[in-house]
Amino acid sequence: MLYRVAGQYKTSYEADYALFPVKQDAWLLGFILLIAFVIFPLTANEFVFRALLTPVLIYSLAALGLNILTGYAGQLSLGTGAFMGVGAYACYKLITIFPEMNLIVAIALSGFFSASIGVAFGLPSLRIKGFYLAIATLAAQFFLVWLFQKWAWLYNYSASGAIQVPNMRMFGITIAGPNATALTQYYVVLCVVTVVTLFAINITRGRIGRIWKAVRDMDIAAELVGINLMKAKLMAFFVSSYIVGVSGALFVFLWRGAAEANLFDIPLSFRVLFIVIIGGLGSILGNYLGAILIVALPVIIGNVPGFFGIPISSSSVEHINIMIIGALIITFLILEPHGLARYWAVIREKLIIWPFPH
Amino acid sequence: MRHTIKAALIASAFAIGIAAPAAAQDALKLPNMSYRTGPFAATGTPHMNGQLDYMTMLNERDGGINGVRVAFDECETGYNTEKGVECYERTKSDGTLITQPWSTGITLQVLPRTNVDQIPMFAPSYGFSAMQDGKTFKWAFNPPTSYWDGASMIMQAISDGNLDNLNGKKIALLHLDHPYGKEPIPLLESLAAKHGFSLLPIPVGLTEMQNQSAQWLQIRRERPDFVLMWGWGAMNAGAITEAVKTRYPMNQFVSVWWGAHEPDLKLVGDQGKGYRALSWNFVDSDSKLMQDVKKYVVDTGKSQINQAAGEFDSTAYQRGILMSVMLADAVRAAQDHAGTPNIDREQLRWGLENIKLDEAKLAEIGAEEMMAPFSTSCSNHTGHASAWMVEWDGAKFVKASDLLTADRASIDPLVEKASAEYAAANQPWGMNDECTE
Repeated sequence: MLYRVAGQYKTSYEADYALFPVKQDAWLLGFILLIAFVIFPLTANEFVFRALLTPVLIYSLAALGLNILTGYAGQLSLGTGAFMGVGAYACYKLITIFPEMNLIVAIALSGFFSASIGVAFGLPSLRIKGFYLAIATLAAQFFLVWLFQKWAWLYNYSASGAIQVPNMRMFGITIAGPNATALTQYYVVLCVVTVVTLFAINITRGRIGRIWKAVRDMDIAAELVGINLMKAKLMAFFVSSYIVGVSGALFVFLWRGAAEANLFDIPLSFRVLFIVIIGGLGSILGNYLGAILIVALPVIIGNVPGFFGIPISSSSVEHINIMIIGALIITFLILEPHGLARYWAVIREKLIIWPFPH
Repeated sequence: MRHTIKAALIASAFAIGIAAPAAAQDALKLPNMSYRTGPFAATGTPHMNGQLDYMTMLNERDGGINGVRVAFDECETGYNTEKGVECYERTKSDGTLITQPWSTGITLQVLPRTNVDQIPMFAPSYGFSAMQDGKTFKWAFNPPTSYWDGASMIMQAISDGNLDNLNGKKIALLHLDHPYGKEPIPLLESLAAKHGFSLLPIPVGLTEMQNQSAQWLQIRRERPDFVLMWGWGAMNAGAITEAVKTRYPMNQFVSVWWGAHEPDLKLVGDQGKGYRALSWNFVDSDSKLMQDVKKYVVDTGKSQINQAAGEFDSTAYQRGILMSVMLADAVRAAQDHAGTPNIDREQLRWGLENIKLDEAKLAEIGAEEMMAPFSTSCSNHTGHASAWMVEWDGAKFVKASDLLTADRASIDPLVEKASAEYAAANQPWGMNDECTE
């Protein structure tokens, strides 16, 4: 009905490999972008921006970075939180050393710092894989967080050891710091996330993406067909850490406003990993669905009793919340190990052949 | 027909749900960010209970403050900064009068925002020490005493009133590796340089709070003359048991007020004899204040405290009560000044600048033995109340000193520098130019 593909003929390879082979997908995306760019800003209040929309976008971006590495190139990593930290601290140093620098430029540059560190810690991937590699990246996690704490230069020797985001302006509008409005920050994050997603979609469906998938599925076979494994793996680490670094910079500069080293500790890595697994490995859409489940749903559930005026203590809500989210994660993974993105794929298939199932 | 009834029921349930918060508008919204979950719940819970129970007592006994009920809702953070920011935004959109962040990390995070959103921030005896400078931190308050005040008082106590006695000594600072734990370092460093003792900061990571063998090995090796503890939650209990295990002399082990926490010491009992902590409050369960709380809240079953474990008589619970006493005094001052019981944020800010808990007021509340008198002003957002050293006698804390007072001459220049730096780093920053004191 909604997904009627009758009449959509492909007469060239180009049309068949287009970004949206089915017209309705493009409409759906247009509709989602319309909601994100127009409807939400018109209707949401500050709480929704700061507690739901902006964090979901930033976490999705971090998950996207990890997904490129783990989902597409098959390299396990437990160091995402620390690479986000590298992005955040690099951005902080850039804007304090060059106060005139545009924040967007600083964020884009800070990705390169985490990318190079990501490549350095990705080097073991040439010799080891699977769980062994995960442990190597875990070392990165511990080492980097320790470094953020000990190297006082990184936080400009501030007494508390925390980095604070100053007020920053761009084209006459304050976009970061306490004076920035939630709406401006949301728009900046949304634009960055949109651009990076577009980039990620195209890189994963093109030549490089197919090289990564070949390495993921069987690296020896990939090497036999002439793929340079070293180049492929290191490139995956580079691209992935770049995106993760950018998300880390956004995390601190356009959302949190301040951060201390402990923030980038292992729970953050796990949180991003959960988003990837729940959302679906090797899928772009999955990152967003996963982030909605892991980041936004607890906030929404936490507000339900208050909204209906149910008298229940805040700490009980927190306990119940943890149980509900835990149960949901287990249920989803039992019902569909390939994540939420797979659900959407199934629904889409069904819609296309509806009302005549196979 | 059945469907209509069902629909009507659902609709009315929705209507009640939406109407309930609206009907509660005639209340003073003073929410608290609690952490009854997570790794710090052991210290958090009695403080939360104390704060909540005093406000419940005011509601039960007096029908609120000047006739307006207090809505002292909690928003659970689990001491997690991310949840704290979420709670800040949620309470802000609910029209809160105040934010009580309850963690130095969350305090630092929301401090710049409160200045923009113009919400008073009440951080009793925690948070950023430089907040005492009311001209710079127009919206932030940390009465009755700051961490730097605390550090100064501890140094006086261990040096018998003259810091030069510490010349050549070695003092270890066992602290949580978190903004809170690092808070006293700048002052201690400047004191070390001035009085010739050496300072040895020993950080304890959040993940190794309960296993401090490495830190105590270092302490055993370095043999410091004193160990100051700036710990929190599970870390304090870990440090105390570890100190007993390594046979570190307990009379050289001193903590800031959060270490005056009976459950931590009960673990070691007699072996903890001689352990001291600085505390700006002292347990007095027979005071009129505590008896009122007992009569109106605890005995009527409205309190969440664990009576069997002696929580009512604990320093932490009664400290929580006093935190709410300070806030209630600020609200009352604001109401009297504004001439209306329904105050707004700006009026409450004025009230917090005019807390006046002098001896007469404390006697009237029935808390004269429980804390030292103090008052705040527009330029002094801390009040700098004096504090006692309390000592563990094997079963309870006893007073081990007279009231100590912080050495302003060593603190104020640091505050001036830190607040100027803070304002410069956060330009444009709204200063309180009306304050001319």
